[in-house]
Amino acid sequence: MAPLTYLQAISAGLRDEMREDERVLLMGEDIGVFGGAFKVTDGFVAEFGLERVMDTPLAESGIIGTAIGAAVVGMRPVCEMQFSDFISCGFDQLVNVAGKMHYRQGLAVPLVVRLPSGGGFSGGPFHSQNPEGWFMHAPGIKVVAPSTAEDAKGLLHAAIHDPNPVCYMEHKHLYRRVKGEVSEGVFETPLTARVARSGSDLVVIAYGAMVHTALEATEDLEGASIEVLDLRCLKPLDEDAILDSVGRCSKVVVVDEANFTCAAGAQVAALIAERAFEDLDGPVVRVATPDVPIPFSPPLEQAVLPSVERVREACRELLEY
Amino acid sequence: MSSSSTETTQVVDVTMPQMGVSVAEGTVVAWRVEPGDRIEADQTICEITTDKIDTEVPAPVSGVVSEIIVPVDTTVAVGEVLARIATGDGAGATNGAGQAEAPAPEPEPAPQATATTAPPKRTADHDGAADGRRYSPVVQRIAAEHGIDLAQVPGTGRRGRVRKQDVMAFIESGSAGEAAGEEPPLHIESPYRPEPAAPSAPAAAPGRLSRVRRQIGEHMKRSLDTAATCTTWIEADMSRIEAARKQLGLTALPFVARATIAALREHPSLNATLEGENYAQHQDVNLGIAVSLGETGLIVPVVHGAHELSVEGLSSRIKDLARRARAGQLTPDEVRGGTFTITNPGQFGSIMATPIINQPQVAILDLEAVIKRPVVVTDADGNDSIAIRPMTILGLSWDHRALDGALSAQFLAAVKRHIEGWTGA
Amino acid sequence: MATETAQATAQRNGAVGHLQVEDRIWLLRAMLMMRRIEERAMSLYRQGKVPGSFYDGFGQEAVSAGAAFAMAPEDRLCILHRDLAAHIVRGVTPTRIFAQYMGRATGITGGRDGNVHFGDYRVGCVGMVSMLPDMMLVATGMAMAFKLRGERRVALTWFGDGSTSRGDFHEAMNWAGVQRLPVIFVLENNQFAYSTPLDKQFAVDPVERAAGYGFVGVTVDGNDAEAMFEATYEARQRALAGEGPTMIEAVTMRMHGHAAHDDMKYVPKEMVEEWRKRDPIERQEARLRKAGVDVEQIDAEVREEIDAAAKEALSSPMPDPSTATDGVFCEGEPEPLLDGQAPWSGFQSEAALEDDS
Repeated sequence: MAPLTYLQAISAGLRDEMREDERVLLMGEDIGVFGGAFKVTDGFVAEFGLERVMDTPLAESGIIGTAIGAAVVGMRPVCEMQFSDFISCGFDQLVNVAGKMHYRQGLAVPLVVRLPSGGGFSGGPFHSQNPEGWFMHAPGIKVVAPSTAEDAKGLLHAAIHDPNPVCYMEHKHLYRRVKGEVSEGVFETPLTARVARSGSDLVVIAYGAMVHTALEATEDLEGASIEVLDLRCLKPLDEDAILDSVGRCSKVVVVDEANFTCAAGAQVAALIAERAFEDLDGPVVRVATPDVPIPFSPPLEQAVLPSVERVREACRELLEY
Repeated sequence: MSSSSTETTQVVDVTMPQMGVSVAEGTVVAWRVEPGDRIEADQTICEITTDKIDTEVPAPVSGVVSEIIVPVDTTVAVGEVLARIATGDGAGATNGAGQAEAPAPEPEPAPQATATTAPPKRTADHDGAADGRRYSPVVQRIAAEHGIDLAQVPGTGRRGRVRKQDVMAFIESGSAGEAAGEEPPLHIESPYRPEPAAPSAPAAAPGRLSRVRRQIGEHMKRSLDTAATCTTWIEADMSRIEAARKQLGLTALPFVARATIAALREHPSLNATLEGENYAQHQDVNLGIAVSLGETGLIVPVVHGAHELSVEGLSSRIKDLARRARAGQLTPDEVRGGTFTITNPGQFGSIMATPIINQPQVAILDLEAVIKRPVVVTDADGNDSIAIRPMTILGLSWDHRALDGALSAQFLAAVKRHIEGWTGA
Repeated sequence: MATETAQATAQRNGAVGHLQVEDRIWLLRAMLMMRRIEERAMSLYRQGKVPGSFYDGFGQEAVSAGAAFAMAPEDRLCILHRDLAAHIVRGVTPTRIFAQYMGRATGITGGRDGNVHFGDYRVGCVGMVSMLPDMMLVATGMAMAFKLRGERRVALTWFGDGSTSRGDFHEAMNWAGVQRLPVIFVLENNQFAYSTPLDKQFAVDPVERAAGYGFVGVTVDGNDAEAMFEATYEARQRALAGEGPTMIEAVTMRMHGHAAHDDMKYVPKEMVEEWRKRDPIERQEARLRKAGVDVEQIDAEVREEIDAAAKEALSSPMPDPSTATDGVFCEGEPEPLLDGQAPWSGFQSEAALEDDS
């Protein structure tokens, strides 16, 4: 065990996979010689060579499309989108070619797309998005979103070993802010939710960076016992874990950093409405970014992203209900 | 295209074709035939026009035009019957299209795609009580379970709303019993009370049947509704197979499977499928083997090309399919295309059953426990004596629509013959 | 290209270029299979047995037959919707093709996808999607993996004239050129993208763009199966020699509408008449007749096979509705792409040579 940052944990996971499995191939813009925009693959070329740490042309559709080709002939490509926002340029290949392949013709596409996502640092409308909802909606694609260093590594291993296309949402805000003990070697974090803190009066359901926001917001709420459920995997959703928390706590706040409409949390709220109606002691409350592009200027950006204060206020209101 | 048959002729409908995904209707422009005309399959029967294209409609079968239903210049919806063609004895041969066609099945209500969910478990008194207060679903549920009159529960929520913790505190305080208004017992009444009825402590979690269970249920019910199911039994002496299987370290199942395959090759009418009125015998034996998944249910993976396999080959294929069935790793192809099925619950000691036919197959063989029993054996000279033999009862459920009792008995006799005369082949 | 003398000798042996007489018959048979299957399928469509829409490649049979014929078992193909002959060459049976059209459980996709949207991975093919030319990138990625692993294999894909307007065309051409990948791009120039003619699609013939991406582009008579074979053969040799991609522009004509509902009012009648004289099947038949082959016999055999296949497919089951939500995700080990059939006699002699050494 060694304390690693979230970013170091992702690097360590990629390095372990490259060492263990020669089918693993890293592809992306500026990931080779330069080591990646966020230095996740820093030093990889020296160990694994330019062919397996491939500097690709600036072509997101090309990256996903060629990775699909490589995957169906036996490779295990891991693609990096420099920013998750850029996946819109590779959307068609991911959704129409990769996502539908196994259902249509029984051909698996073991492919991981790493998507550095999230805002909070004045990245503006094209470097701050949380596009996970797009891919939750598209059949045949799994979506994972780690919040801790340990899960960042374990979910990466699970994603690479999975025979399906997996969107790996890595939150940029956590890269160097989150640090923790991380197991060495190759291990898999299951694609299930994790109780980040157990409680009985109210549960906050979140994933990615919002898990930390939720924990901070509910650390001391006039002595109330607040559970925080970290979803970790958004597609498939761990429905049992959600229903279990709701059954025990009866009040629910669902937090997304993504835009409000059709976000992951909307699906969670729908699930609770359908399957946990009789467990509820109050309305399901959602906290999310309103349906606006993420603005650049700090006061504007802070005004839209769910803050510790907004989550705390939502919990307080619901507790009193 | 639907068809109905009388004894000698069959009538095939000619319908308005769908000329493009978005086309909903078409207009008949001209008829090229008249009632009574003889027509060959693929010959043009009429011309139609749609908002996308003008085209000719070819006859689906050879026969005699029995009826023209839609007159010229009339617009009808896609799928509507334009004319009818009589085929069969009185009407001439078809090109095979109409006859050989599988029943273009009525799309059955798809067994729930993902979007449906269980309905609420009980109807709640949504608007709460006459006191004008509204209660949340969980509060109402707890109150119902404990027989609590919510009007008695003090609320601490916003505007005095009764929250979950309020009703829980009310129960813990012990006021629930009194509040529920139970009358004090009279002295002639024993304190004895029957065990509380299920709702407060259900033995098993109540809930909807699992998807797998519902599917099994639907398939089984459909089979019984469809087939004319009869069951015939025969007893077989397993001595030779018991000896052979111990030598090879295998179970009896692959041996019986091998004997069944041999019998199916002799009686191909049981290696068959019947869908609607379409009965098809199959050359290859694709042998379904029912595999129990414990409480989850049952699945029938198929050993494709089973006739090409030896006992060892059958054994390893069955084991592999069973293992992957239990691990949920079967591919769709591995549970499709069966031509005959064997079920083998006898491993638990049961001796007879009436299995349900795996549709659209026409028969299923049930292998029960092998039990040592005294039986009368006759030696070469015709002398009878009593011997102890490992015996089993083989049950065959078969579809009386497809075959008759004599044939199923002959088939069972053939299975028995291959079992009792096992030569290690 | 063979010298004139060599060609004369070869012709005496029934051979032209790299093709023996049995290969030339195979090409005819593959094209006839495609045409007869599609004719029958159109009839089934009008009889209401084929759901959805229906697309065919009438008049374009040589493009897929000739190119696929040059590909080895271990090569990988992404086949377009007017290239049925390529599936035939790789070994997909007519019965499964009819079942595919009719949405039956026994079709290649088991009813999951319709008409020509299929690829049988058991014969080394990846099925197309409707967003053209997405498969150019997939083929490029397969070639990228071959090169990375040092394998002697080639990927090939077809795409149409309309596709050249899309970004994925550029991304694939550029990527393949930059990495010098063993991939062959066959541009099936059939004059129309649905109803849009070439002059509304591009200002410069796309074959000329190949040079801009740093590799060879050649134009071939797309109605000549043997010419298609030779061009693809050479492209494959170049790819195996590490000389990178080739773009082959096959000039042909879509003789039917875009799909069954399209009556092609937008195509001048004279244009269709002109192209009808260049029918690829008639051309191949004429050649073989000269070589003393009984082409009527071949057609009769093909018709018989097609009749039996259609009949068998009609009696095959529809998919079970309870399986509609199965298989969205792969569970367990992925199935690998397997090798396909490669009937060209040259592969047998190549194999024989390798066995000898």
